[in-house]
Amino acid sequence: MSEWSRKHLLGLSEMSKEEIEAILDSAKAFKEISKRQVKKVPALRGKTVVNLFFEASTRTKTSFELAAKRLSADVVNFSSKGSSLEKGETILDTLRNLEAYSVDIFVIRHNHSKAPFYLSTRTQASVINAGDGLNEHPTQALLDMFTVRERLGKLKGLKVAIVGDILHSRVARSNIWGFSKFSSQVWVCAPPTLIPKYYSCLPVKITYSLKEALSGADVVIMLRVQKERQSQMFFPSQREYSEFFSLNEENAKLLKEHSLVMHPGPVNWDVEIASCLKEKVQNLILEQVNNGLAVRMAVLYLLSIGKKYEVGS
Amino acid sequence: MEYKEKSKIIDSQEICRALKRLAHQILEKNPNPANLALIGIQRRGVFLAKRIQDIISHIKHVDVPLGVIDITLYRDDLTAVGPAPLVRQTQIEFDISTKVVVLVDDVLYTGRTIRCALDEIMDFGRPKRIELAVLIDRGHRELPIRADFVGKNIPTASSEVVEVKVQELDGKDEVVILEKNNE
Amino acid sequence: MKLVVKGARIVSPSEIAENDILIENGLIKKIAKDIKDPSAKTLDARGKYALPGFIDMHTHLRTPGREDEETIETGSRAAVKGGFTTILCMPNTEPAIDNYEIALRIRKEAEKIGLLDIFPVGAITKQRQGKELSEFGQLKKAGCLALSDDGSPVEDPSLLRKALEYAKLFDLLIISHCEDLSLSGGGILRESELTAKSGFSYIPEIAESVIVAREIELARFLEAKIHLAHISTNRSIELIKRAKKDAIRVSAESCPHYFSLSLEDIAKNFDSNYKVNPPIGTKEDRQAICKALASDIIDCIATDHAPHTFLEKEGTFYEAAFGMIGLETAFALSLRLVKERIINLEKLADKLSYAPSRILGLSDRGLIEEGRRADIAIVDLDKTWTLTEEKISSKSKNTPFLNQAFEGCVEYTLYKGKIVYKYTDDHIR
Repeated sequence: MSEWSRKHLLGLSEMSKEEIEAILDSAKAFKEISKRQVKKVPALRGKTVVNLFFEASTRTKTSFELAAKRLSADVVNFSSKGSSLEKGETILDTLRNLEAYSVDIFVIRHNHSKAPFYLSTRTQASVINAGDGLNEHPTQALLDMFTVRERLGKLKGLKVAIVGDILHSRVARSNIWGFSKFSSQVWVCAPPTLIPKYYSCLPVKITYSLKEALSGADVVIMLRVQKERQSQMFFPSQREYSEFFSLNEENAKLLKEHSLVMHPGPVNWDVEIASCLKEKVQNLILEQVNNGLAVRMAVLYLLSIGKKYEVGS
Repeated sequence: MEYKEKSKIIDSQEICRALKRLAHQILEKNPNPANLALIGIQRRGVFLAKRIQDIISHIKHVDVPLGVIDITLYRDDLTAVGPAPLVRQTQIEFDISTKVVVLVDDVLYTGRTIRCALDEIMDFGRPKRIELAVLIDRGHRELPIRADFVGKNIPTASSEVVEVKVQELDGKDEVVILEKNNE
Repeated sequence: MKLVVKGARIVSPSEIAENDILIENGLIKKIAKDIKDPSAKTLDARGKYALPGFIDMHTHLRTPGREDEETIETGSRAAVKGGFTTILCMPNTEPAIDNYEIALRIRKEAEKIGLLDIFPVGAITKQRQGKELSEFGQLKKAGCLALSDDGSPVEDPSLLRKALEYAKLFDLLIISHCEDLSLSGGGILRESELTAKSGFSYIPEIAESVIVAREIELARFLEAKIHLAHISTNRSIELIKRAKKDAIRVSAESCPHYFSLSLEDIAKNFDSNYKVNPPIGTKEDRQAICKALASDIIDCIATDHAPHTFLEKEGTFYEAAFGMIGLETAFALSLRLVKERIINLEKLADKLSYAPSRILGLSDRGLIEEGRRADIAIVDLDKTWTLTEEKISSKSKNTPFLNQAFEGCVEYTLYKGKIVYKYTDDHIR
């Protein structure tokens, strides 16, 4: 692929392998910019990027904000906790209002699945999904894939194990779509209460055994387990959860020499990953943050430059 | 738009000779190669710079540091282009602030690419001096830019396209002139 | 006032025969060949079909309280345009139809408008709160034929038991909204491969079927009648089939959207107009509903006409309200079943008219038969038309069928022998 023409980045489910590769290849070039004395390029001069976050987020928002700034775009942050409907305004009203500022890109996070898709059909601007409900979080998966490719030199033929709260994870879903397009086998591992009933329709293998998930895995993605899942009765106690589903010194031995342990952050140490592995794991997690910036720069660049048409989804 | 090949103007032997000449001229102007650095412009300038680096190393037995830049993000026509051009690697792994940087590109035409490269290099630091080496100067400048070292001057019409091919990318070394196909 | 309907093919649940219909004083006086009555006006219906006026057991007219969505008048116009001559309107209004005064007011207002018969459905419990029974006798006196807390189930089974028992006193039909709220809570789409793929919050099929099973058991134990509203799942149908085999007095309805749509339609664009409760099911559910209509496991077709304003339907799939309008598309969508040879036209007359008349005990209508009321829908089976916003008579326009073409339309609606609706190409509202 030599050029990019997709207008919106809504999810990895609808993207081709070639498009994903184009983003990862570009991200490689963008990663270099952050090492320069002047960490800024003029590519998006005069473009306006709006971070439209209807859900609390600091990491993703910061990453997008910095990415846009390093490309010389003007960035506006709009955050709204809770439903905008409560204020008597629909998200469409909010979007229309901001669009009056001649926005080029909306980066949208919303607790409703497909909300970015909905808004993308109603705006002239490009839309980047920064996490929609339990659907997708495409840039997180892209940065995971970028990290894996950089570390392991390939994305093909890998065993990728995603462990934890699959039910409530948009990161898991995006990673499943993404890795499976490169002929890697994704496994998900969680207590049955945290795996959706019809999940086997996705290109994924399901196991309740952490041992089976970890054995021979090239990549392990440990997902954050929210404290409230316990009170919602998805599992009886955190103690029991971590006994069966946390990565510890013992079960880490099932991994290969080169295996990567990743986490979208922030980690609940001793819940998802035993704190004795902190030293080993943390470097890569920080590198993921750095790679996230490069991936988001690449996405912002690809979506905002040139004439776009919508690629059938 | 379609183009057809009009004439081959330089063959591989001549390219080889031109690069040698460029290397000698660079060394003539910069007798102390310790201060020198080469930066090739993506894509074909990169391979020409590499070859100049090899020639200098052969003559002087020193390895002149070599960098690579992609100027896409500095283009002045990014808002006007069609689909987004893909960005290739930029890699300058030496401190340029003590160096005389010789920029290397295949064809010097409007000068806009060089303007981008100059801006981009400045974001890496403040080099002592920047010089420009090109294989072909085809004229039609749109900015006040000139090359310090020129392999060959070729007068062209603006309807023509000068295409440099290199072994590493195109399987052969040659320079051809293409013309818009009006049929 | 006399009227002769000339040359229509008259559809009854058992046969189709071409005859003239003589209408006098709002009743069908005579059905025969070549009726000549110089004192009567004539309505030329040659080439058309005459079906008994449709009876919709399940509409929402939003009155009182949400007259911005629908009024008795706009609802009446929408109904007669769809060929309906009798409709029941659900009590989830603001305030709820849980007492004599409100029920009577709706009856009276409908009579004043006079386009069709509207029977309010009384709430089973006061304010539909599921705590105390409303005054069934008073509601009966005001004209209610049935009771329901529609929009919500009666969660407490011991309270529902009392309702089923007490309703026998007045021969009132209990209509159950089958939904286990703890299972459906927060969901918006049927739990399925689609929700697994898209992360939408979901309503599992068992949210309906566990309550269907409960209602069947209550009806069996109490030897009571119960009617199950808007059945949407294959599994519910299997339970109802078994109950009918066991001679339990259960009847059931499904709606045009459940036998016309499946999740594949939603996945195309997630148009919030597809958002209904219970949610649209899978292809298998859709097929099962079609089959159940043919085999009479599902007794009748009801619309669950649920008007919402543009603002309530704007926004994401989550933000939008549940429900779609249905009165004006019910016949054309049901006719598709005939065209696809799932049921025949006779069966359609049963599903839209005769069956609901039986379930409700309305023996004066539901058939085109001498002595019954002259409630008649005269339809053209082949005329094509497109549903546009301007053509919709309902006050709300929330339907996913907007701008779709249909084959077959209602040409005339006769209510008590009076022409209350006539099709025109430019559709005067």
